[in-house]
Parts: sequence; C-alpha cells; structure tokens
Amino acid sequence: MLDTSYGLLSLERNSFAFFTQFKPWLRESSTIFPATFCANLKNGLEMIDLVPMSLLLAKLEVGEHFYWEIAGLKIHGQVFMTSWFVIALLLLFSVLATRKIERIPSGLQNFMEYGLEFIRDLAKGQIGEKEYRPWVPFVGTLFLFIFVSNWSGALLPWKLIHIPGGELAAPTNDINTTVALALLTSLAYFYAGFRKRGLGYFARYIEPTPILLPINILEDFTKPLSLSFRLFGNILADELVVAVLVLLVPLFVPLPVMILGLFTSAIQALIFATLAAVYIGEAIEGHGEEEHG
Amino acid sequence: MSWTLLLAVEEGGGLFDINATLPLMAIQFLILAVVLNKVFYSPLGDAIDERDGYVNSSIVGAKEKLAKAEKIAQQYEQELAESRRQAQAIIAEAQAEAEKVASSQIAAAQQEAQANKEQVQKEIDAQKASAFEVLEGQVASLTQQMLDKLLSAA
Repeated sequence: MLDTSYGLLSLERNSFAFFTQFKPWLRESSTIFPATFCANLKNGLEMIDLVPMSLLLAKLEVGEHFYWEIAGLKIHGQVFMTSWFVIALLLLFSVLATRKIERIPSGLQNFMEYGLEFIRDLAKGQIGEKEYRPWVPFVGTLFLFIFVSNWSGALLPWKLIHIPGGELAAPTNDINTTVALALLTSLAYFYAGFRKRGLGYFARYIEPTPILLPINILEDFTKPLSLSFRLFGNILADELVVAVLVLLVPLFVPLPVMILGLFTSAIQALIFATLAAVYIGEAIEGHGEEEHG
Repeated sequence: MSWTLLLAVEEGGGLFDINATLPLMAIQFLILAVVLNKVFYSPLGDAIDERDGYVNSSIVGAKEKLAKAEKIAQQYEQELAESRRQAQAIIAEAQAEAEKVASSQIAAAQQEAQANKEQVQKEIDAQKASAFEVLEGQVASLTQQMLDKLLSAA
C-alpha cells in the first residue's frame, strides 16, 4: 500500500544488526529514530556488509513479512503462526479450567473464574446489567486475545525462532489484526444497535441536533480507525523501543522498558475491550429519551 | 568502517500492508469467540451463576433459620417467664393455704382450749357450789348442835 524499503544496519563493533524499513513520510521525521535515519540517508539499495544471520543477537525488522499464498491471496504467515499459538493457549487454559467444574473452585478454575468475572464486570459496567450477557463472549474474547497476544509478544522470545521472512511477534503487532478486530467491533455495535432499536438506530445520527449529523457519521469511521491504530501503534512502538534498547545495551537496561511494555500491553487490551463495550452499550442505549427518562 | 548498511528491496510488504490476513484474522477471531463461548464463558459462567444462586438460597435459608431460632428463643423465654410466674403463684397460694390452715387450726385449738377451760371452770364452780352447800349444811348442823349443846348446858 505504501512504498517500502528494507534496511539492515549492523553495528560492526558488537556485530548487532538492525533491520528496519521506512516509509517515505517516516524518513522525514528524523527525530523518531535518529540512528536508523542515518542508515537510510542513502535510501540505498547498496550492500556494504552482511553479518551472518546466525550471529545476530538482536535485530529489528519492521514491515517485513513472511508471506503465505493461499488461493492466490497473500497473507502474513508470521501473524497466523503466533495467533494460533495464542488461540491454542487460550483454548488449553479454558479446557483445563472447565474440565472438572466444582462449586468451590480451586487452582486453574479459580483463576479463570477470576478472569471471567473481570470480563463480566467490564461488560456489565459499559453495556448495562440488562443487556450485557450476550456480549460477554465478544468483549471477553477481544480482551483475552489481545491481552495474551500482547503479553506473548512481550514475554516470549519469539525472535529466537527464525522463519524465512520477517520475524515472529505479537499478532497485534500487525495492522491487519488490529484493523480486523476494530472492524468487528464496528460491526458488533451496528448489529447491537439495529437488533435493539431497528431502523430507529439511525435516529442517533441526528441527536441531539441534526447539525451534528456529519460529526456523528464521521464517528463511525474514527472509532475503528482510532481503535486499530492505538493498539497497533502501542504494541509496535513498545517492541521497537525494546528492540532498539536491546540493540544498544543488551543487558539489564531494557528491563524497565520491558516491564513498562507489559504494563502498556495489558492496558491496551483493557482499553480495546472497554471501548468496544462502550460502543456497543452506546448503540444499545442510544442518546434518546431512554437516557433522560 | 563502523557503519555498514544493507538495504534490500522486496516487492510488497511494509508496515501498513493490508491484505487477506485481515478477513482471515476476523473469521479466525469470530471462530475463537464461538469456541471460547462453548468451552469457557458458558460453562464457567453457568458455574458462577449456579454458585451465586446457591449462595443466595443458602443466605435466605440461613436467614429463615435464624428468624426461626429467634422466634423459638423468644417463645422459650416467654414460657420460662410464664413458668416462673406460675411457680411464684403456686408458692404464694401454698403459703396462703398453709397460713390459713395454721390459723384455722390455731383458732380451733384456742377455741377448744377455751371450751375446756370454761367446762373446767364450770365444774370447779359446780364443785365449789356443792362444797359450799355441803359446808352450809354442815355449818347449819354444827350450829344446831352448838346451839343444842349451849341450850342443854344452860
């Protein structure tokens, strides 16, 4: 979709390599990554040195993908590989927790019930006591999938597993995943609104006053846009910062940033799920008389 | 040469490379939501609801039992007070009866004693009277004899 190029900048001193790729517009803003910016001065297609891949302790790749072709369609293999791992992890935990359900929970069942109660409270708080139940699976899966994805990206050394192209990372690191989740959220709140209020759902576009119609319509576009880019940007930025720090100082120094990354990852999952629930709740509740009455 | 630079070009790719990954990921996510609903949300949610119901019914049952126990305790207290009062009444009654019996017996005894005394008095009086009568007879006869003697002597 955009012009791309790939860069490998290796620091010969410590034989680290720095893989990166830049958009033209990113290139203009040298303040983001000064070091890599230098590397791109030539905008070069010129190879000066190539460090053997096996020697790389840390490298950074952005925008490089491991392509699979299915029925002529290109997909990002690395995203699916890690997402399958995340899904398998979720399913494994779910199955183990519900294998033997007891009235007095213990161990894994207790833990997963805590998670479920958390999700239910989240949905209940935003959608409302009456309507929240059918939305628990959607909001909950959003939260769990994003949360486990983010943490797997932050905790597991995916990069040690070499794949032919790109590198393994959190599935939420890819714009496709976040846009997919955001569009599903949009569909979900449209569905919720139509199911609850029928065509009267459109009345919300001219509430509280028809003057706001353009802004209300615009909101339907900004919601998925902000949802997807917030998550994508946060996770990608976190991984970039950690990777750059690891590149510069491989020991101990990146740890605080990694811990901060865990924190932001969890927060991003919470924000995404909460906002999805808010949008659904908004669509169900409407801005009309029910609110004031 | 401290900086080395490699820039490779590959067709496609990039940060914002949106392709078939998007719909497939969406479908995959929906399937995950459905499956998780089957194996996680539904069973554990049911378990939580069932436990809530159980706890609530237990609380209601416990409250009922507590109310019942309190009622029974109150009833017991009432009965205890009632019994105490009854006991007091019985004691008082018994005491009154005993006093009555005692006083009546005392009165009877006094009456009897009085009667005896009066009878004895009467007997004493009668004997006294008869004794006086006898004495009077003897006095008369003695007086007669003395008179006779005096008269005969003269």
